[in-house]
Amino acid sequence: MGATTRIATKDLKLRIRDRSAIITGIIAPLFLAFIFQLIFGGAFDQSLDLSFGLVDLDGTEVSAGLGQVLDAIEGEGVATVERFGSRAEAEDAIEEGGADAFILIDEGLGRSVMTNMEATIEVVGDVDAPTSTQIAESIATQYATGVGAAQLAVGTTAAASGTPLTPDFIASLSADPATAAFSYELTDVTTATRQLDATTYFAAGMAVFFLFFTVQFGVLGLLEEERDGTLARLKAAPISRASIVAGKALLAFLLGLISTSVLVVSTQLLLGASWGSPLGVAVLVVAGVLAAVGIMGLVAAMARTPEGAGNLGAIIAVILGMLGGVFFQLGSGDDFLSRLTFITPHAWFMRGLADLADGAPWTAALPAAGAILVFAVSTGSVGWLLLRRRISE
Amino acid sequence: MRVWAIGATNIRRMLRERSNIFFVFIFPIAIILLIGAQFGGDFDPVIGVHLGDDGEIATSIATELESLEDIETLRFETEDELFSRVEYGSVQAGVSLPAGMDDVAAAGRVVEIGFVARTDGFGPQLQAIAAATISEVMRPVGAAQFASSETDVPFDRALAIARPLNDQIAAIDVEVATLGEAIFPQSLGRFDLGAASQLVLFTFLTALAGSAALILTRQLGISQRMLSTPTSLRTVVVGESVGRFGVAMVQGVYIVVLTLIIFGVNWGNPVGAVLLLIVFSAVGAGAGVLMGSTFSNDQQAGGVGVMLSLGLAALGGCMLPIELFSPTMRQVAHITPHAWAMDGFAELVRRGGGPLDIVPELSVLALYAVVLFALAAWRLRVAITRP
Repeated sequence: MGATTRIATKDLKLRIRDRSAIITGIIAPLFLAFIFQLIFGGAFDQSLDLSFGLVDLDGTEVSAGLGQVLDAIEGEGVATVERFGSRAEAEDAIEEGGADAFILIDEGLGRSVMTNMEATIEVVGDVDAPTSTQIAESIATQYATGVGAAQLAVGTTAAASGTPLTPDFIASLSADPATAAFSYELTDVTTATRQLDATTYFAAGMAVFFLFFTVQFGVLGLLEEERDGTLARLKAAPISRASIVAGKALLAFLLGLISTSVLVVSTQLLLGASWGSPLGVAVLVVAGVLAAVGIMGLVAAMARTPEGAGNLGAIIAVILGMLGGVFFQLGSGDDFLSRLTFITPHAWFMRGLADLADGAPWTAALPAAGAILVFAVSTGSVGWLLLRRRISE
Repeated sequence: MRVWAIGATNIRRMLRERSNIFFVFIFPIAIILLIGAQFGGDFDPVIGVHLGDDGEIATSIATELESLEDIETLRFETEDELFSRVEYGSVQAGVSLPAGMDDVAAAGRVVEIGFVARTDGFGPQLQAIAAATISEVMRPVGAAQFASSETDVPFDRALAIARPLNDQIAAIDVEVATLGEAIFPQSLGRFDLGAASQLVLFTFLTALAGSAALILTRQLGISQRMLSTPTSLRTVVVGESVGRFGVAMVQGVYIVVLTLIIFGVNWGNPVGAVLLLIVFSAVGAGAGVLMGSTFSNDQQAGGVGVMLSLGLAALGGCMLPIELFSPTMRQVAHITPHAWAMDGFAELVRRGGGPLDIVPELSVLALYAVVLFALAAWRLRVAITRP
């Protein structure tokens, strides 16, 4: 055991003096997390900022209903609503960026509804605000359906009571037929969002992406000693072969653990990331570092030279990172990519952190941590056996 | 002559490096493919639906949601499964139709339907669409509730009257039109946007990665040995620069040609595109030589190279279109040569511009190249001749 720690501490000192591990392990991920947050933060966390216009050229009781719907939406703080006197005014507002979309009710809508004639409502949207335009369209559709519901309510009542449909009959109704449109309520019941905010997402993504490169510095040390001939000298020393491999693995583990811990703390303090329960994060980080050591150890065992191992390791780290969704989430719904992503420890690491979001207890991270450990054990054990055999030859 | 020999050696070295087969030739194309599959073309958001029972209202709403265009729907067995998929984000929104809706409606009460969505992206849009769809289905139900409370006719009979009447209500159509010129026109191919971004990103990345080769050349004393032959310092410096430039061009030309063949990517005016690629490769080469002569440890340079090329690419609009940046960030972005190159390609590809339309972008990039090469030449002279 003494030999293992001594090998690891000596190499750790070397790596810190060399500074490349610090650049790869801490500075690069921190810098990139910062840049990504700067750029994607706005697009990611956007609470849609909707602004709608309303042009009511009809001015009847029927058309006023749409104004009430829009006012209610404004009241919920979802959108701002501005009324315009003419189509031209509303179009100008869109061209100048004052509104995303407007809904126009032409003269005659009220009359058409009363006489059960077809009518049209127009939605005009900024071509570069498709989401807002679609929402305006949905609002208009919902309003049109609501108007129809009132008509249908009156018609049904008349038919059910066997009375002819006259203005007098409508006036005799005890309730407002418009209430027929409110036979249901769509309530937002979102409770928890196991979802990382942009800052934490990129901080975590970059941390786990660069972790694999950082760990490589440790694992490759063994192959470098082999190339430089110092391995033969180590073997001549009265220490077990296993402790040489263990020393390098311990070094890799320490490098990964230190750099990731520094990243967690610094992104939390400097960038405002929120990682969640410290114990849960610690469990995930340890599991993640072990998986990185295992995978990179296996790569080292299969490569002939340190350069070869470095290149192969970089390729594998980049592929796993991309598939694992460290830059952007992969796939949607039930598609192939959204399943494929879970063949990487990266995706499980991100999933585990998402499970910890919203103040969940540390145990929420355990399933993901377990999955990551499967990668660690399966690759690490094979890598260990191969490397031990290799230096025993 | 010697300049070309040094340059050509550098390109050969890159091509011979086996991992470059992946990083230079496979990876960029894979990324363009992945991004095209993920963001390009028509991405349909997914609404998950859970039915508490197979009552009439619940099934009609589910069927109506499933018939929506541009929206994909998935049914879930349990509400928990639906909610958890929405929380993780692989389903963008969920509609939970509780059990017993038919009975609640018959009793004349308001039917409560649950909606879940992530706070980002599609949530509000999908909620509006779901509400409009549900309104459609609930229309006869609401009318029947109203009629039944106004008269003494039971709900079921009122509903039986309302259903056929529903079709007789004259429709109010909603017509949608758009105003203005689209930043990303419909004609833009699925891979067009991604291809230009990745061209800029990878050309620069490969040029910077080349700095490791230059550091090795210096470490091994090859540069000094070249000087001991009748080769001037100027020739060595220019040769190394030509080498880095060639490496960047190999990467750039490869991406342009391959995406043209495989994905039919539109690169706009060919003369403009080639000019842009040449000037941008020169910028990358200048940065590569500067890094290669400033750092003395190739592993450090590797880390810094990846960090700078990804960081500058993100800042320059290669990962999120610059048009979607805030006004301030858009200005900051133009510190990077990437933003200028992306502006140039946008002019060529999206607005059908020619070489004359990208003169401003070309000039700014040329200025970057000149400044970087001047700095690089000075640093490299110092680095090679330092005793």
